[in-house]
Amino acid sequence: MKVDVEDIKKIKFFEKFTEQQLETVASISSVKEFMVKEIIFEQYDELTDVFILLQGSMSLGISLPKDKRIHLGTIEEGQLFSWSAIFPPYISTAWVMAITPAKVIAIDARKLNAEIDKDCDFGFKTMSKIAQTISHRLSDTRFQLMNQLNL
Amino acid sequence: MYYISIRKEDWHRSLEKLLLTCDIFVPVKDDYSLDYEPFRLDEAEHISYNNPKPATPLKNFFLPVRENVTAGVDGRKPRIIIGAPNCDIEALMLLDEIYLDETFTDPYYRQRRNNTTLISFDCFGTNDHCHCLSYGVRPYSVEHADLALAADGDDICLRVITARGEEFAALLSPSRKLTDTNSVSFIEQKHQSVEASLAAKNKGLPDYHDTGQLVQKAGNGVWVKYAYKCVSCGACTTICPTCSCFLLIDKPDFEKVKQMDACQYPGFERVAGGDDALFELPHRFRNRYMCKYVWKPQKFKHMACTGCGRCIEACIGKINKNELFMELT
Amino acid sequence: MTNNTNIYKPLRAKLVDVIEESPLIKTFVLIPEREFVFSTGQFIELSVDGVGEAPFTPSSSPLVSDKLEVTVMKTGYVTKIMHELKPGAVMGIRGPYGRGYPVKSFEGKEVLILGGGCGLAPIRSLLFTLEHMKDKLEKVILCYGSKSPTDCIYKPLFSRLNSIDKFEAYRTVDRTEEGWDGPVGVATALLDKIKVKIENSVAVVCGPPIMMKFGTIRILEMGYRDDQIYLSMEKNMSCGLGKCGHCMMGEFFVCKDGPVFTYKEIKHNPEIWK
Repeated sequence: MKVDVEDIKKIKFFEKFTEQQLETVASISSVKEFMVKEIIFEQYDELTDVFILLQGSMSLGISLPKDKRIHLGTIEEGQLFSWSAIFPPYISTAWVMAITPAKVIAIDARKLNAEIDKDCDFGFKTMSKIAQTISHRLSDTRFQLMNQLNL
Repeated sequence: MYYISIRKEDWHRSLEKLLLTCDIFVPVKDDYSLDYEPFRLDEAEHISYNNPKPATPLKNFFLPVRENVTAGVDGRKPRIIIGAPNCDIEALMLLDEIYLDETFTDPYYRQRRNNTTLISFDCFGTNDHCHCLSYGVRPYSVEHADLALAADGDDICLRVITARGEEFAALLSPSRKLTDTNSVSFIEQKHQSVEASLAAKNKGLPDYHDTGQLVQKAGNGVWVKYAYKCVSCGACTTICPTCSCFLLIDKPDFEKVKQMDACQYPGFERVAGGDDALFELPHRFRNRYMCKYVWKPQKFKHMACTGCGRCIEACIGKINKNELFMELT
Repeated sequence: MTNNTNIYKPLRAKLVDVIEESPLIKTFVLIPEREFVFSTGQFIELSVDGVGEAPFTPSSSPLVSDKLEVTVMKTGYVTKIMHELKPGAVMGIRGPYGRGYPVKSFEGKEVLILGGGCGLAPIRSLLFTLEHMKDKLEKVILCYGSKSPTDCIYKPLFSRLNSIDKFEAYRTVDRTEEGWDGPVGVATALLDKIKVKIENSVAVVCGPPIMMKFGTIRILEMGYRDDQIYLSMEKNMSCGLGKCGHCMMGEFFVCKDGPVFTYKEIKHNPEIWK
């Protein structure tokens, strides 16, 4: 499904992007839909898209032996996931599953990387937001760890 | 403020008459120490006039080690405490700020303060670790005590300071008001001599405010070094005239017993879950200095250290805070 | 105030009900022997006869003066004995003490509340007050996290809050359990999904020290100023009167100058998260 620039504008991730940059993003994105319990990707999968959740909720976690899944967090509307798609080796660090019917924007990671290389301003804005996402995830994970260790 | 004079034997007899209505405490020196004893006329010659200073700080008369604080404030006998040095009198001002606070007035402390006449002694000498003057505290009282006493041979000279002091002075007989400044010139000379001695002994010691700055900026090394010999016995806090932290202990029928505590005891800040912010000894050691020289001055008008030096004398590890401060300068 | 003539003497209160909130947490419902009034965010010293006392912020409404609810987590000696008490027991209350939330200054604003664990107890009391004054508020948002679904206290609270006009309540758990289909993750993760006008808002953070630390950092990142953030510092309060010295946090007596502080007031103190 094609993506309208107006849909991209509504996403907080892109709030500082110029009109031109938003059109670029729209041109390399598509909209995808997932059903409840559908796996978007597994831990250690090779990733080709960066996702932003438009509607619904997703669960994020890690896999243990004997098909056991540990839920570590919930992805909410407006949040980015699958950031590993733009960093080598492009392998996912976690699995993601839809826990409600969900709609995402899928951005072609290879084309996104090309745009980052071409336009420094676009690249800086994109990387800043991705860094913030990862920073929050790391901080939350540390907090979770300290809670579980009763520190 | 004015002076009166009374012969020493008449002074002692006046005190004996007052024993009918008051408890009276005087400093007595024996082979072991100089400390407060109840006044007895037949022991009056053992009263140690103008010698610093009783081992017990004045705070102990107002904040007992242990007391029931729900039993009711009964009518206690008035007291006259004679012989407190000015460092103890000034220390009481901080305790007044804490315990006579308008929002929560301690009724037991208030009753004791209202019930007590304070007659301080001018210090005509110094102990090894006296450093009151370095903190702006004079070795004699001109305010906050009700009267101040200077003995001159067989004469007792009293500086009458407050209205309560005036009432007390009126009970002394026979006494005479001194109008000639020459008759008290010996006191002036003693003051100058003691202040000169204190200045020489404590040369270079930073004042109260500067000490706070040094303590706040000090790195961890100095605390580790000086805390090395500390065994957390709490002697410094117990003997200190301004330290007054306490515990409230529950007794049956919702009675509460207030018992003196010390931040130097391990577990002072331990909480139910087991965390203890002052667990590490150097940190606990530093905490007391931060409290006295940095935090209390931000919170209260009066000083949390009046330079009496008892903490140095009492420390069984022979830790000398003034050496620490000199090292920081 | 429990006793105007003797600051150390407790008021007696009859325990009329004990509600089990979670395996380690119970709410005690008390009827004081006379009317007891407290401001939102103030605390009391609750005692077991002849055993000991501990500080708690009531979890009931400050608008109710003939009944008091206190939520107690079994943590140490005194709280262990408290948990063994049955209705009919008589407990002691001293207080109320301290400086609570300046709720009057919240008027006209959006209130964001970030809570964790047992921090929901004082938050519940604050929510009662905010509900009472909701016509004067723009919005109230609660983001709360517990370690697991079982550890969450006041479970019916969230659906009730979401049914009140201008109120939004979100819940998450660190660790999921069978039957839980809500968000998983820490409370700070919930902050990414809320919409709040930061320039006309205050943030209230209440929970264990770790949660307060991470929460404050995240709220500052969101754009809140340090004087917009209110922290309830629970620190070994003992006498409650600003005298015994046990709760000193730098130059502050937490029992008297707090327990509610703005982050601006205390941020210079390196010990605040201990």
